[in-house]
Amino acid sequence: MVSKKKKTKPKYQNFQDTILNLQKYWSKQGCVILQPYDMEVGAGTFHPATTLRSLGPKHWRAAYVQPSRRPTDGRYGDNPNRLQHYYQFQVIIKPSPKNIKKLYLNSLNTIGINYKDHDIRFVEDDWESPTLGAAGLGWEVWCDGMEITQFTYFQQMAGFECKPVSVELTYGIERICMFTQQKKNVYDLDWNSQGVKYREVFHQAEKEFSSYNFELANTDNLFKIFEMTEQEANNLISKNVSLPAYDQCLKASHIFNILDARGVISVAQRAEYIGRIRDITKGVAEIWIKNQK
Amino acid sequence: MSEFFLELFTEEVPAKLQSGARNFLLTNFEKLFHEKSVIFKKSLTYSVPNRLLIYFDGVNKQIIEKKEEKKGPSILVQKQALDGFLKSNKLLEKDIFKKKTDKGEFYFYIKPEKKIETLNILKDSIPKILDRIDWKKSMRWGNNSLIWARPLKSILAIFDNKIVDFNYHHLSSTNYTYLDKEFEEKTKKVRSYKDYRDSIKKLDIIIDQNERKDFIKKEIDKISKKNNLKVEINHFLLEEVTNLVEQPNILLCKFDKKFLQIPREILIITMQNHQKYFHTLDNKGNITNQFIVVANNKDLKGFIRLGNERVVEARLRDAEFFWNKNKNQNLLKQISKLKTMNYFKGLGSYYDKMQRMRKLGGFISDHLLISKEKIEIACSICKVDLVSDLVGEFPELQGIMGGYFAEEQGFEKDVSLSIKEHYLPNSLESKIPKKYFSVGLSLTDKLDTLVGFFGINLKPSSSKDPFALRRAAIGIIRLIVENNIDLKIKDLINYSLVLYQENNFVFENKVTQKDLENFILERLKYYMKEKNIRSDVINASLYTFGINHINKIYRKSLAFNKIINKESGLDIIASYKRALNILESEVQKNNLELSEIADPGLFKNEFEKKLYKKIKELKKYFVNINNDENYEITLDNLRSAKPVIFEFFDNIIVNDENNAIRKNRLELLQMFCKTFDNYINFSKIESV
Repeated sequence: MVSKKKKTKPKYQNFQDTILNLQKYWSKQGCVILQPYDMEVGAGTFHPATTLRSLGPKHWRAAYVQPSRRPTDGRYGDNPNRLQHYYQFQVIIKPSPKNIKKLYLNSLNTIGINYKDHDIRFVEDDWESPTLGAAGLGWEVWCDGMEITQFTYFQQMAGFECKPVSVELTYGIERICMFTQQKKNVYDLDWNSQGVKYREVFHQAEKEFSSYNFELANTDNLFKIFEMTEQEANNLISKNVSLPAYDQCLKASHIFNILDARGVISVAQRAEYIGRIRDITKGVAEIWIKNQK
Repeated sequence: MSEFFLELFTEEVPAKLQSGARNFLLTNFEKLFHEKSVIFKKSLTYSVPNRLLIYFDGVNKQIIEKKEEKKGPSILVQKQALDGFLKSNKLLEKDIFKKKTDKGEFYFYIKPEKKIETLNILKDSIPKILDRIDWKKSMRWGNNSLIWARPLKSILAIFDNKIVDFNYHHLSSTNYTYLDKEFEEKTKKVRSYKDYRDSIKKLDIIIDQNERKDFIKKEIDKISKKNNLKVEINHFLLEEVTNLVEQPNILLCKFDKKFLQIPREILIITMQNHQKYFHTLDNKGNITNQFIVVANNKDLKGFIRLGNERVVEARLRDAEFFWNKNKNQNLLKQISKLKTMNYFKGLGSYYDKMQRMRKLGGFISDHLLISKEKIEIACSICKVDLVSDLVGEFPELQGIMGGYFAEEQGFEKDVSLSIKEHYLPNSLESKIPKKYFSVGLSLTDKLDTLVGFFGINLKPSSSKDPFALRRAAIGIIRLIVENNIDLKIKDLINYSLVLYQENNFVFENKVTQKDLENFILERLKYYMKEKNIRSDVINASLYTFGINHINKIYRKSLAFNKIINKESGLDIIASYKRALNILESEVQKNNLELSEIADPGLFKNEFEKKLYKKIKELKKYFVNINNDENYEITLDNLRSAKPVIFEFFDNIIVNDENNAIRKNRLELLQMFCKTFDNYINFSKIESV
């Protein structure tokens, strides 16, 4: 329910409490609280708890935090807003409940944002992931002009129609905390109210991974690994094991992202690689749906 | 007389889908009432992101269907079919009778006068109309089969203070609306439209989009005047913002002045396209650090202003970071990076394109009489901004950023300007470069693109033009025509093909050349039609001049089109046609071959001599005009021949008994027509 207390400023919340509070809140809404998937992924959506579980007729509710990697967004720790590694908090519910907007707005209350004090806006944003062969309709949710959440009704995943339709909420934890903590630089975020800042946890990693992504990654090897991963995926698909095969898709996708950051993939090649990842993902989804029955 | 209203309550419908939905519902309900002869006095439609409303006032409660004779099946029909007909119309055998028509004998029946309740029509028709609504993009949700722009939550439908009862997919109509769009928990029963409007008003919602738009506009005016600022309202943005809010609250915010050193285009895109803010200008027209936000809530605690200011600063800090990094990265040293940027499959990399452009640009510079060296430099660096972070972030600023980089790095002004403008014009209305370096670079880029895509046979189809080749061709035409320059496009295409060949791209050169010429000429026709030039004038001009004379084709058409319905134009056409008509019939009848040379020795009277003299005079005029031909003067000259040719016809019979004299007179007329054809081929002009 809406908090009856009048608040005078956005409630300050440290980084880890923000995650914990979201977990608690969505746990109360009947979500299975999962841990991050143990592989490099580009977004919370790639966790099999979202991609694969959004397929088929079975009901499903889950929430988890997912470290997400976007190699091209690395800025050597110099940019106050951009990171090649950051946290997404992901909620996936199938079928999408009628009161999802209410559930979402109440969740903001638990992390220090009372919707009544702010300009919360649902701005059209149609989501598409060519590598996943996925598409959805929804909004980016703006809080006083800042995008804090992606709110998406999945229409298609891995080339298959979603039936019933899942709703996906993706919170950008860093952005939300920069908002509630009133910080201009992500590295100044308060992690635990005991003196640890985001800088201590991640700054070195941002610097080193930016070097790796942009300069050091051995592209010849990565091209080879991509081929091997794709082969492995196809082999596993032919053996009818969907989840191990899906891991290979994730691997391929991450390798592609690093190659992209290294600037060695031309425009024409890009489309080709994306198509290859989409094809194996589709193969995986097909057997996952079959094996689920 | 009653009122009917329908409110469709949804999760937030995208701004750009609302007006289409409003119009669809309004016209379809109006159409329904017209078809059923239901009279109404007033109809309205409104929307906010969560509500779509239509309202009809003064609606007839019932309609009376008049007694009517209805035709059934032919009397020759099988018994079974007749029974089916009776059953489906709820008739007994005694109700029908036979009647002869000119198509044979048929069964008929009398449909008696009938009262129909409007309420029933609505119950029946609302779901059908809702099913047909055309969302440009729509979705499913939950377990439902319904497809809508965003989840449809509730349907309020009232006629004559009563609920219009119907089911629509998983929903049933109601007599209440939701007061809170957030939680959808507080409902309010309504009986009348006034009830509804009052409850909406209490929520501070301005449901009327026009009222909302005016309100926003006035508030922006008020705030900007008060703060001595100017706002050039972008109407697309105003429209979008209007459909993004229901209780607009206009706030003046600001960002740190230090960001004003970033190029203005970046500031504007960030504010306008990304954040949907209105930027402001000072008295001198310079952009300021103040901007206007249209929020959807009262800012009681100041959070909204603060939040928006922080967001725009975060974005600008990002842009500033890239700007400072990119502006000093030497453009010349980065050219080699273009090697890794694929231009298009089959057309090489941007480096290849750059090399072709250098040569083609040099060739064009000779025609435009501008420095070859400078245009070669512009060609070399104009695509380098594609590898910059800023163009990665703001792709719509390609070219513009390159111009800024060049300026920062001390390239000459006309070089940096040409880079900035080289994607222009990008539409039929857009700004056209005027400086010759800009014109030259833009032409070079567009020609290379057109020749390449035609070379690999990726021509636009009737409906699709994914590589914007029509736009490129119109661009070339506008650059030539609107700058009043003459450019031999045929030769340029030919040279561009040679350059592709040197680049080792093998096309079928002859076919490509011909196809592309035809394509450009088709676009020229389109462009001239857009300028309201008559098609026969266009054809006459195109018949006389080829692709190397685009400017001439356009200007001659335009000048003649201007006077075509005036006395002077009619005189010219009449003079020409009078001569042509006789010529055509005589030449055909007698199978003559004319040489276009009349022999003055055979002239019998002064009328022939006068005409001959006039023709000589006109010929001399045409021989002596150069590229600076004044088309109005030419047309005046042609017109001056009218009294002479009319006198000739009024006093002379061309068909003289003497064959030599007759032929000589026809030669004279042939000379006359051919001389006129120096302007455009008037035989293609349709006489009035």
